Amino acid sequence: MSYVGTSQRPHDWAARTDGSTLFAADLRLPALHAAVLRSPHPYADIVALDTSRAERMPGVVAVITAADFAPDAVYIHRGAPLSDRPPLARGTVRHVGQEVAAVAAETYVQAVAALAAIRVGYRPRTAPLTLAEATAPGARRLHERTTAEPNVSVLFQTEWGDVATGRARASAAVEGRFVYPSVSHACMETNTTLARWNQADSTVELWTSTQAPWFIGKEVSQLLGLEHDQVIFREIATGGGFGSKSKASEHEVLAAALSRKANRPVLLSLTREEELGANKPRHRFETWLRTSVDKDGLVRLYESDIRVDNGSYNHMGPSVMRVGAITLGSMYRPDGALVEARLIDTATQPGGQFRGYGTPQVSLAAESQLDELADRLGLDPLEMRLRNVNREYATTLCGYDVTTARLADCLDAVRTELDWDRRRADPRPDRGVGVAAGSHGSGAYAYDLANRSDAAIDVFDDGRVRVRYGGSDAGTGQSTILAQIAADELGVDLADVEVLSMDSERTPFELGAWSSRGTHMTGSSVGKAASEVAERLRDLARAKLGTQDVVLRDGQAVGADDAVALGDLVRLSDDAVDGMLSHETIYLLEGTEPLAPGKSTANLSPTYAYAAHGAYVEVDRRTGAVELLDYVAAHDVGRAINPTAVEGQIAGGAVMGIGAALGEELVREGGRIVNTSYLHYAMPRSADVPSVRPVIVNAHDPAGPYGAKSVGEMSIIPPGAALANAVHDAVGVRIRELPLTPDKVITALAEKEGRRRRHRIWRRPDRWWIALLRWLYPLGLHHLLHRWGTKLGHGVGSGVGDPESVTSISAPDDLPVILKAAAEGAQVIGGGSDALVERRREASPSTVLISTRSVMTLRGVTWPDDGSLRIGAALTLTELAEATRERIPAIADAVDSIASAQIRNVATVAGNLLQEKRCWFFRSGFPCYKRNGVTSPCYAVMGDHRFQHAVIDGHRCQAVTPSDLATVFTALDARVELSTSNGHRTVPIGEFFTGPGETALRPDEVVVEIVIPAAACKRRSAFRKLNLYTGDFATASAVISAEIDASGTWRDARIALGAIAPVPWRAVEAEEWLRGRTAPTAAQLRKVLDRELDREAHPLPGNGWKLDAVAGLAEHVLESVTS
Amino acid sequence: MQRLKINGEQVAVEVRGAESLAAVLRERVGLTGTKIACERGECGACTVLVDGRATMSCIEPAALVTGEVETIEGLAEEIRDLREEFADRGAFQCGFCTPGQLVRATALLRAEAARSGLDPEVVRHQMSGNICRCTGYQAIVAAVVEVAERRAGGAA
Repeated sequence: MSYVGTSQRPHDWAARTDGSTLFAADLRLPALHAAVLRSPHPYADIVALDTSRAERMPGVVAVITAADFAPDAVYIHRGAPLSDRPPLARGTVRHVGQEVAAVAAETYVQAVAALAAIRVGYRPRTAPLTLAEATAPGARRLHERTTAEPNVSVLFQTEWGDVATGRARASAAVEGRFVYPSVSHACMETNTTLARWNQADSTVELWTSTQAPWFIGKEVSQLLGLEHDQVIFREIATGGGFGSKSKASEHEVLAAALSRKANRPVLLSLTREEELGANKPRHRFETWLRTSVDKDGLVRLYESDIRVDNGSYNHMGPSVMRVGAITLGSMYRPDGALVEARLIDTATQPGGQFRGYGTPQVSLAAESQLDELADRLGLDPLEMRLRNVNREYATTLCGYDVTTARLADCLDAVRTELDWDRRRADPRPDRGVGVAAGSHGSGAYAYDLANRSDAAIDVFDDGRVRVRYGGSDAGTGQSTILAQIAADELGVDLADVEVLSMDSERTPFELGAWSSRGTHMTGSSVGKAASEVAERLRDLARAKLGTQDVVLRDGQAVGADDAVALGDLVRLSDDAVDGMLSHETIYLLEGTEPLAPGKSTANLSPTYAYAAHGAYVEVDRRTGAVELLDYVAAHDVGRAINPTAVEGQIAGGAVMGIGAALGEELVREGGRIVNTSYLHYAMPRSADVPSVRPVIVNAHDPAGPYGAKSVGEMSIIPPGAALANAVHDAVGVRIRELPLTPDKVITALAEKEGRRRRHRIWRRPDRWWIALLRWLYPLGLHHLLHRWGTKLGHGVGSGVGDPESVTSISAPDDLPVILKAAAEGAQVIGGGSDALVERRREASPSTVLISTRSVMTLRGVTWPDDGSLRIGAALTLTELAEATRERIPAIADAVDSIASAQIRNVATVAGNLLQEKRCWFFRSGFPCYKRNGVTSPCYAVMGDHRFQHAVIDGHRCQAVTPSDLATVFTALDARVELSTSNGHRTVPIGEFFTGPGETALRPDEVVVEIVIPAAACKRRSAFRKLNLYTGDFATASAVISAEIDASGTWRDARIALGAIAPVPWRAVEAEEWLRGRTAPTAAQLRKVLDRELDREAHPLPGNGWKLDAVAGLAEHVLESVTS
Repeated sequence: MQRLKINGEQVAVEVRGAESLAAVLRERVGLTGTKIACERGECGACTVLVDGRATMSCIEPAALVTGEVETIEGLAEEIRDLREEFADRGAFQCGFCTPGQLVRATALLRAEAARSGLDPEVVRHQMSGNICRCTGYQAIVAAVVEVAERRAGGAA
C-alpha cells in the first residue's frame, strides 16, 4: 500500500476528537499561575518601579522585572543594531501592552490582584502612533537606528532586472496606494507556556504552544543566561500558529524566569484580551505601486514605495518587509522592478510573523492594479494573467530558480470551477467575479542552518515504527504526512507508525514549521532517514533470506519465496538496543542560498508554489454589504502527499485571507487596541463563508520530496485582491484599503454617484452644545479629559473576573424571593451571558446576583384571546424564536441574528433588552465618560466610530442600545411590565429606553413580562440588520410593522431603526407618509426617509454612511413586508 | 459542595462564587477536553450540553447548573461516526476548537429536525457560534451534514 499521495486521517485523530489531546493549559502539574503587568501608555519613561507591596500579597511567590535579566538582555534579531527588544521593559515603554513585570501566585486571581499592587511611575511622552506621525519632521525617535531618516528601522532600496527596458516597452500604467491592515492570528489556543525549573541541574522544561521549539529554546536560553540545551522542550499540542508561534514572544521566557525564581512550575496563559490587544499581529503595509504594461498586457515594470509599520520593536519586521517586496521580483515576468521600502517604527505593539509574511500586503496592490490595467486594455483579467504567468525552469528578477510552475493550470481551474465566463457576463447587477494570483516558496533559506533538517526513525521489535523530529505540528498535518512517508519507505501499516515531535532531548535538530518549510525539509529528512533504515532492514533480510531480491511490504521483508517480519529483523540487528533499531540522519538542502548584506537576489527556496483564487460576490448597494457567494482556490502544490490535508490548508488559509479582506482589522485608539475580543474582531464565522472550494492542480515537482511543494502560506495571499477585484466587477468601485467593510463600499458608491447629505447643524440650536464639544475634542479637549480627567473617575475593572467576589449567586424558582432580593440591592440577572462578562469591567460590581432563569411563571409565552402576545421576561431567546416564527416572524428573525445558538439557549428576553450599551471603547474597558465618570472623554469622538456609534441624538456618549429585540418591540408598540415587592407598573417601550443600554427600570424593579398588543400582532412586520459577521451586533437595523388592507393601502405603519441612536429610533415622518398610501415603493420611502434622516441626524465624521445603510435596510424591509 | 450530574455520574464538587462551569469541569473534575479560548461566551470552544442544550460553559455559573452536563469525554462514543467523519474530511487541524464543534454538532444531530437530515445552510448558521481559525469551516459543515444524512438513512 502506498500512503503518499492519498488522503489519510490525522495520525492522532482519535485523541484530537475525544478531548484527550493535551494542550499546555490542560496539564495538571501543581503549577503557579502567572499574570503580566503591561504598559498603559504608548510611550513613557519608567521613573519608578516598586514591587515590594505585590511581593507581600496573598499567594504571591515570585515577581520579576527587567532587573531579573541581564542588563543588556534582548531578544535575538540577527544581532545589533536590529536586536532591540528587552524581555521586560527597561526604563522605557514603547507600546500599550508592553510587558513591564510578571507575577506568579497560587491562583490567577491572586496574580492579577498583585499586578495592581506593583507601583510604576510613568512619565508619559508623546510619540508617533502612525506612519505619518513617525515620519513627520520633529517626530520622537523611538530608537537610535542606522538609517538617516527618523524612525526608519530599515531602508531597503533595490533595482531588479532592466528598469530602462521595462519603461521603454511600457505603454500604459496605473499607480495608487494600497493599505493592508494589521490583523491578528487569533489562534484558538491563546499563547501558553508551562515552565518547570529543575534546581538540581539548572534546566527548565517547557511545555509551550509553538511551531519552532528550537528557536524558542535559543531565545529563552540566551535571555536567561543558560546554554541552549538547558532549555528542554516536551511534546504538547499546539492550538494553531499561523506564524505567530514561530518566534519567541514573551510568555515563554517570562514563564521560565518566574519558574526559576519561584522554583516551582509556572503556567502563563494569555487571555484573549492580551492575545488580541498585546500580541504581535500582521505588519500593516501602505504600498504605493505603479505597474506598467505593454499593449499586449504584459507586465513590464513595477515601481514601488512600500511603508511598513514595524511597531515599536523589530520582531521580524525587517524580513517581512523584504519578503513583501520580493513579490514584485518573483511574480510574472516584468523586465524590471524598482523597490523602495521602509520599515517604520511607531509606538504600537510590534508586528510579527504571519502566514504569507508580507506577500499578501504587496500582492493586494499588484493584483489590484493588474485588474485596473486589464480594464483599461479591455482584457479579461483572467486572460491578462494567463499572458503573464511565470515560466517553468526560469529565474525570476529576485533570483528565484523556479522549477515547476503551473499557474496557468490554476487560472484555468478558476475559469472552469467558478464558471468564470458565464458569471462575468451575468447581467444581474451588483454581482461580480474577481481573480488574483500569487506565489510562495517552500521554505526560505532565512537563517543559518535553515537548509538542514535532521530526523530519526525507530523500528521496534514488535514491528512498530516511530518517527522523531524536532519540529512541531501546530495543526498543519505535518506529523501525519511524515508518518505516511515513513510507512511507505518501510512498507508498514500507517497505523503502526507513531510520531514524536518537539521533545528536545529525544528528537534531533530541526528548525521547525515556518516559511512553509515543513513539508520540504522534514519530508526530505524523514524520507531519507526512513529509506536508510529500510536499506538496513533489507540488508538484514537479504542475509536472513539468502536472496538479493527483497522488498519491504505489509510489515515484512519479502523475498522470492519467504518473508520475515520487520520486528524479527530488529532482533537480528547488532545495532538494536532494547528491542529498538534507531537511525538518525541529516538532510542538507542544496541549491538554495541565503540573502546577504548588499545582495538583493537569492534563490531562497527549493521550489515555488503557485495559486489562483476566484471570488464571486454580490454587493448590496443599499447597505454596502459584500456577500461572498462562491470562492475557488486553485493551487499548484506539486504532488499532494495528503490531499485532504492540503485542501484543509487551502480552505483554511483562504478563509483567513477572506477574513482580512472583508472584516478583520485591529483598531487602535491612542495606541491601545480597541477590539480585544472576538465580539469586536470581525472574523468569519461558518455562515459567512458558505462556499470555499479548494482545487489541487496535481502535478509532480522533481525538486520536492515525493514531488511536493508548499501550500500553508500560499493560500492566504490572493484573497485580498480577489475580493477587491470582484467588488469592482460588481459595482464599479475600486477600494484600495482592506477590509472591504460596508462603510467603504457605501462611501465609494456615494462618491461615484455624487450623493451627499446635509444636516444643517447651524439651524439646530439643540445640537450646538454637542457640536461645540466635538469641535473642541481635537483641539485639546480630548487630551485634557484623557490625560487628567480620567484620573478623577471612579475606576474601571481589570477585565479579569474574580468568581469569589460574588458572595451569593442563586436562581430561586419564586418571583417574590427575587423581588425581595432586588429591593435589598441584589443584581438581578437573566441567563447571565452579558451581565457576568460586563461586570469584569465594573469598578465595584455587585456581590449578590440573583437570576430569574428558574421562575417558571416568567418563562411562558402566551397568545391570550384578546389577540395580544405575552412574553415572559425569563423566556430564553431560543424559546422566543420558536414561539413567534409562524405568527410574528420579525421577532424570530431578529432572535436568529443575535449572538450564537449557545447564547440564545440561555440569554433571556429581559436580559437582552437590558444588556449593556454597544460601544467597543466602553466594553473593552476604556476609562470613558460612561464607565469612568463625567470628567472622562468619550473615546468614540476621536476614535473609530464607523460601525457602532450613534448618528442621531449622540450626546456626551455616542453609544447605542444594542438590543435587536428592543428595535423590534419598538415597532410592535410593546409594553414592559415591571414589578417590585410591593407594586407593579407598565411602561410603554418608547419610554422604557432612556439612553444607550439604559432604561427606566428602577433598582428595585424587575422586568416580568413584555406585552405586544393585539393590533401590533396583526400587522405585517419584517426585520433586517447589517453587521460585520454572523451573530454580530447590528451596525444598523430596521423594522417595519404595517397594517395593509386587501387593496394594498397602508392603514398604519411603524418604522423602528436600531443602532443609529442611543435608543431605538422611530422614523415618525416616514411613518406618517406611509399611512393611507397604496403600494408605496422602496424608492419612494427612501426619499422620504432620507429627508427625515438628513434633518434629524448629527453624525460623527466617520459614521454618516450609516444613514445610507439604515435607509437601505428600510428599503429592503419595506419590500419584505409587501412581498 | 455542589452536586452535578456530569456524563451520567453524580459528582460532588466545590464551586466558588460565580465560578464558571468550564473552570469547574477543567480544574475540579479533570475534564480538560472542554477548552477555554475567550472566557466571554464568544467562540464556542467551551461548549457543553446542559440538559441536551448547547451552552457556553465558560460563562455559565456552575452554581446555577441543575441539569445534566455532557462533555466531549462523555459524548465521544455516541458520536464516533461524527468524529471519524471529521477526521476523514479534514474538519479539524489543530483540534483546539474541535471538542466544542463536536458537542455543538451533537445537539444538532440529536434534534428532531435532524431525523431527515440537516440542511447545510442550517448547519452553517447554527454552528456560527463556534469559531475555527484553521479549517475555514467547509469540512466541518460537510461532516455534520453527511453524518446527519447517514443517520437519517439508517433510521429509514
